[in-house]
Amino acid sequence: MQQEKSSPDTARKKRIALSANSGKKAQKANHSTHPIVQLQNVKRIYTLGENKIYALNGVSFAIKKGDFVTIMGSSGSGKSTLLNMIGCLDLPSSGKVKVNNVDLSKLDDDGLTAIRRNNIGFIFQQFNLIPTLTALENVEIPMIFNGESPARRRKKALAMLKNADLPLEYANHKPNEMSGGQQQRVAIARALANNPPILLADEPTGNLDTKTGHNIMELLKELNAAGTTVIVVTHDPKLEEYAHTTIRIQDGEIIE
Amino acid sequence: MMRYELFIALRHIRARKRQTILSVAAIGIAVMILMVSQAFMAGFTQELYSKTVYNLPHVIVSPQDGDDYIHLYKNIVDKINNIDGVIASSPYLVGEASFKFKDNTKNAALKGVMPSRENAVAHTKDDIIKGNYDELTYSDKSIIVGDKFAEDMELDIGDNVEVSFPNANPVSLKVVAIYDTGTALDESLTYISLHKAQDFYDTTDVINGISLRLADFNRDREIAQMIEDYGYNAAGWTDNNPEILRTIAIETVSNNVTLGFILLIASFGVVSTLNMVVMSKVKEIGILLAMGASKSSIRFIFLIESGLLGLAGAVLGTAAGVTLALSIGTYPLPEGVYGLDSIPVVVRAGDVLTIITIVFLLNLFAGLYPAQKAASLDPVEAISTH
Repeated sequence: MQQEKSSPDTARKKRIALSANSGKKAQKANHSTHPIVQLQNVKRIYTLGENKIYALNGVSFAIKKGDFVTIMGSSGSGKSTLLNMIGCLDLPSSGKVKVNNVDLSKLDDDGLTAIRRNNIGFIFQQFNLIPTLTALENVEIPMIFNGESPARRRKKALAMLKNADLPLEYANHKPNEMSGGQQQRVAIARALANNPPILLADEPTGNLDTKTGHNIMELLKELNAAGTTVIVVTHDPKLEEYAHTTIRIQDGEIIE
Repeated sequence: MMRYELFIALRHIRARKRQTILSVAAIGIAVMILMVSQAFMAGFTQELYSKTVYNLPHVIVSPQDGDDYIHLYKNIVDKINNIDGVIASSPYLVGEASFKFKDNTKNAALKGVMPSRENAVAHTKDDIIKGNYDELTYSDKSIIVGDKFAEDMELDIGDNVEVSFPNANPVSLKVVAIYDTGTALDESLTYISLHKAQDFYDTTDVINGISLRLADFNRDREIAQMIEDYGYNAAGWTDNNPEILRTIAIETVSNNVTLGFILLIASFGVVSTLNMVVMSKVKEIGILLAMGASKSSIRFIFLIESGLLGLAGAVLGTAAGVTLALSIGTYPLPEGVYGLDSIPVVVRAGDVLTIITIVFLLNLFAGLYPAQKAASLDPVEAISTH
């Protein structure tokens, strides 16, 4: 994986200035004790032939608005299932999941889609950019789903890419023409496209070298400082140092 | 604003050039075959009609039951001419006669007609290959024979043939024209003037049949019925020549079955191509779903793709098919083998539109399954397992 150059300080200041607006809101949110994600005795059971597998076995916790949370667990611990629950991609077999105070169990497919679109930005280990689209178009996609006008979304997408420290000459490159770190920056810009209150990252540094990984985590930290609730799912203990809160999961249960 | 579904569908199509070309080609070839065979079918049907119905009297009126002749025929001819849809009528007197030229003898039908009226009904003039049809009008002592008849009798233009029959007044008639219809009539039917025929058979001014030409040959039964209501016997060409209708019907059915199968094959090609596209796009569909695309959007994307592929295939196939059909139509056939100069080809705008519409709709329909499959993907599985 190719290393990327760290961004100059001026760009960083500009970026923080750009997100100053949402920052004010976030400070208010920080003071509220109102949880943005809430799980109550959540169970997720997969049936494999005659065996029942408890991917989640009675998980309860709450994540405050504006928090930076890592969900730690080894593979098979149930952390991916947990991520799918929070990301409104999956529903629990029993128990309750509330995102932004909406009970997911009461929603149908379209309702889940709408919640997902307006509240969650996804960042994946594999970046998961759409290979046929340019960096700019990838960032525009969620805004298109949200019905933004072409001119507005182009402008906003460029700002998002700048915010994520992607050199602008890459805006019209396809994913396979970019390094891993650059792709992850595009993915972060895409995740933020609709200004979701929650950023959900699944092993965001898993495919990056240490230095690039560090830069990406710093970026997430800045976004958190600007008000976004960041939830990182990982098995890498090194990521703990960026977070305010750590939730440990093992065999489908919270252990700490 | 361009719908993003269209945008993504176009991207898919452009990103997978080879598959796109292959599936468009598959549909295109099927459409081309459809187009060409449709043009052939239309051409052969038209040829069949022009060989038969075009020259056939559409309705034939014969004497009342028990009568040999139609007396005072001018009356009924006037009445018939006033029927809406009748564009020409030709009274005639037909009988049998023996012909002799040198040592050759032959029996054939002798049909007395009013030349211009007969031509108006049966386009007799179009079939003349030698001589002058109008001589029949100018000279009473003229006869027109078929080319087969002339060949058998070793006759040519200007020869005098002896015509006789029991109870008839023998006469010598000069051959003024030779016709060729490509049918059995060429051997068995001769034309003289109506007046001469009445002389020959020694009758008063009577006839034993009227042939009619209609504006729309499909109304033959209806008009025959109207004439029957006047008290005469009348029959349409479909009753006189049921084998023509049967031939056309069999042709049409067998052609439609073949065309249907070709279309089916083409549509399966689209289903499998799109299915492959869906399989290769599983992860992307998952990402789109995770980013907030609705299931109906995903379905719509793949429906657009199949519709566009179908439309492109249909348009290209039509262009290729029409070109091919028209160029086949100009290819000369060896003379006299099939009785045709070239393969008859007819390209009708209606057929073209119908084929394009059917192919487009069929492709949309074929796209339903892959589109539904894409829409029902589970985003979690789609992202994590691919």
